[in-house]
Amino acid sequence: MIPDNPFKKTKNHFELLYDMLLDAIPSSVLMVDEKLHVVSVNRNFLLKSQRNKANTLGRPLSEVFPTIILENTGIEERIRNVFRSGLPINAQKMTYRAPGVPIRIYYYSILPIPINQIMLLMEDVTEQVRLSEEVRRVERHLASVVESASDIVLSTDIEGRILTWNSAAEKLSGLSSHEVHGQYFYEFCDINQKQAVRFIFKRMKNSNESHTTEFHLLTANNCGSILISWVFSPMKDDYGQTVGTVVVGRDLAERRKLELQLRQSQKLTALGVMAGGIAHEIRNPLAVCSSAAQFLVENNITAEFHRECSRKIQTNIQKASAIIENLLRFARSSLDTEMVEVDLVHVLKETIELIANQAKVQKIQILLPLQKEHILVSGVSGLLQQVFMNVFLNAINAMPEGGQLSIAFHTFEDRVVVRVSDTGFGIPPGELDKIFDPFHTSSPVGQGTGLGLSICYSIIQQHLGSIQAESRYGEGATIIVTLPLL
Amino acid sequence: MVKAPRSSSPYRSCKAMNLPILIVDDEPDMCWAISHIIESQGLHVITAYSGEDACFKLTHGEFSMVFLDAKLPDMDGLEVARRASVLVQEKPRVVLVSGYHYYDDPVVRHAMVEGIICDFLAKPFTNKQLLRTLGYSTDIAKA
Repeated sequence: MIPDNPFKKTKNHFELLYDMLLDAIPSSVLMVDEKLHVVSVNRNFLLKSQRNKANTLGRPLSEVFPTIILENTGIEERIRNVFRSGLPINAQKMTYRAPGVPIRIYYYSILPIPINQIMLLMEDVTEQVRLSEEVRRVERHLASVVESASDIVLSTDIEGRILTWNSAAEKLSGLSSHEVHGQYFYEFCDINQKQAVRFIFKRMKNSNESHTTEFHLLTANNCGSILISWVFSPMKDDYGQTVGTVVVGRDLAERRKLELQLRQSQKLTALGVMAGGIAHEIRNPLAVCSSAAQFLVENNITAEFHRECSRKIQTNIQKASAIIENLLRFARSSLDTEMVEVDLVHVLKETIELIANQAKVQKIQILLPLQKEHILVSGVSGLLQQVFMNVFLNAINAMPEGGQLSIAFHTFEDRVVVRVSDTGFGIPPGELDKIFDPFHTSSPVGQGTGLGLSICYSIIQQHLGSIQAESRYGEGATIIVTLPLL
Repeated sequence: MVKAPRSSSPYRSCKAMNLPILIVDDEPDMCWAISHIIESQGLHVITAYSGEDACFKLTHGEFSMVFLDAKLPDMDGLEVARRASVLVQEKPRVVLVSGYHYYDDPVVRHAMVEGIICDFLAKPFTNKQLLRTLGYSTDIAKA
């Protein structure tokens, strides 16, 4: 065998190197001449297109690519253009489906090569496309979560300028996302709060904690505003730097309305409990009136007795009327919600009057030693009355065999502590921390809603006070209400 | 030992024996009204304003009848009736007078069956209704 001449050997060596290089590229590479015949092809292309060298090399492109791809991409025309202009075409998308394999997505470039050839470089981006679609899907999902929320969700840059503003924000404020974009959030806050809101944004820059507050948001219709409960949270990048603030706001009007309804319905429950005492107390004066009226129609009565009967009728009608008036006051009072100066002693006395009938029926003695004539707090007297009414009725319910209900005041520098103690069943140790939970009740089914003390809790909280319970099981319980003094 | 047989009714007849009638109610106006109705029939009345007071008077005096309020500050009217039925040998007729119970109240019916009360009068009542519990027909009362 004649050895290859050195030139040929070198040429083969380069060809070999060239083939190895091409095959090593993880993209499909095709060299095409001016007649659009395939001059060279790498292994990656053959693998992806399920072809071999024999049915690819020297063949026209129209045989190598399925007709449908040629038609959709117009790749032949593009190649001719590159031959004519000598300018490359970069990154075009192509969906390629070789027989028997799933669809793949490619980005292809057509690059001119000086020796009257072009290189068709095809990069498989199926996976990247799938990932980016996944990312887009997640993004769309997140966006729709924010958009569908009934709470206000907005984001700002680090200075507090609004970047996003969801549908709920648009709906509640009447301001479109377009109108508020780029504006400082505090511009839309209640005039008295602007400074405070600017301060919150300032704090967000160096804080890791969210900030909760309540203030009015201005609405599109002039001078309108709605009370919102807000949570400000710093938005961090991957390096823990604050890059903005997320603000979530909930319309409190709805919650306030529900609270009001709940308090009102609980009040009706309390009225039901008092019904027995009320019946007894109203029927007594009615019976006296009835008898006195009948005496009046008797023939031979003295003028003196006539006057006595009239007097009895008068005073007893007033007695019955006073009981009814107290009830009305109690049933209606929660409609006013403005905090004003309230005399706690007066509230307690009025409440005791309301439950006195029920206490009497159950042979319960009420002790109210008063050291002070007036104790002033800031509050809604109807709501405070509801709290004490609940506490008293609970105490009365705990003493079916009679007992003592004592109310004691202690005033300190800035607060007043009211202790309401009964001599009833007491509260089992395990239940002491549950009694302020909604729907926790020790009453048999049908006799209590279990809302009483949870409503007391929410009312006392609204008054910036606290309510606690102490008890020795079997020896009675004490409810302790603390309120700030005015 | 066998007890001596009693007359057909274990209760005294108020008209036959000229004993006073006890009125028990913590509401003075209520006592005023009931007293007046009864006194109009020429009967003698004594009042008690609490359960303890009533029990004391029942054990220390003889009464033909008792008008008893169901809810007294210190004890239930029915409790007074129950004690009376034990303490007092010659049981007076007890009428429960109440704005707290109603006429077919199970508590009331039970007390009647038990025999600790003989009648129930709901507040407010007409004067005629009260007279009827005295054992008078209203016609006699008018006369």
